[in-house]
Amino acid sequence: MERRNEILKTIMQKPGITFRQLARELGIGIGDLQYHLRKLEKDGVIFSKKLGKRRYIFPQGFEEEAQKLLIAISTESRRKILLLLMEGPMSQGEIASLLKLSQPTVSYHMGELKKLGIVKAEEKGRSVIYSLEYDPETIARIIKEYRPSIWESLADSLIDLLTGIGDEE
Amino acid sequence: MEIILAIIVLILSLILAGVSFIAYKKSHLRPALYLLVAFILLAVKKMVELLQLTEWIKRDLGWAISGLEIIFLVLFVLALWRR
Repeated sequence: MERRNEILKTIMQKPGITFRQLARELGIGIGDLQYHLRKLEKDGVIFSKKLGKRRYIFPQGFEEEAQKLLIAISTESRRKILLLLMEGPMSQGEIASLLKLSQPTVSYHMGELKKLGIVKAEEKGRSVIYSLEYDPETIARIIKEYRPSIWESLADSLIDLLTGIGDEE
Repeated sequence: MEIILAIIVLILSLILAGVSFIAYKKSHLRPALYLLVAFILLAVKKMVELLQLTEWIKRDLGWAISGLEIIFLVLFVLALWRR
């Protein structure tokens, strides 16, 4: 029981932790951890969501946040943008040139991230400066463990291709 | 040989339809939906051609195949249309 409480405490402290991270951090065997997680999930204290090749574990009550986070990191360009914004606020132009993405592509992704409440935009003179509005530690943890399948990588490229159409640069 | 090539085209169209479906699910971009329908139609067209090649279908379906080609191209143009 003590072990289960320890697992729950870690999940509460680190929402979005993966099975592997949890096992590594607590030094628990795979079978043991699987058993406790099944019990916790059955009791409705935690829930998990699969994205790419990983399953992320969240505490109960985190459903809306989890959904937002997983949508936010679901494409490669968005993951790169979020990692870049961890270094500090940036304009759309800076993001586009640093990531070698077209302006319409960056604009599309920033719009989506703003809608999700993960980034915020502030007008400074003639340009708009974007910065993170969500806990960077949680975002970094989820992105670090994310492993897209080959199909998802292809779909990400298609999204960037479609959103980049019309770029005159 | 012709049948093998037709099967390859069929498989590739289905793969591209799958990729477009994932892209649409992730982004809800309308062009991705157009591409999804376009690639499904391409697969259907190839399937009809394949069935004609293997003589499962004996009727001449040239008009239907041309129709599918036109719809495929229109959907492709719509997907690439500058918004």
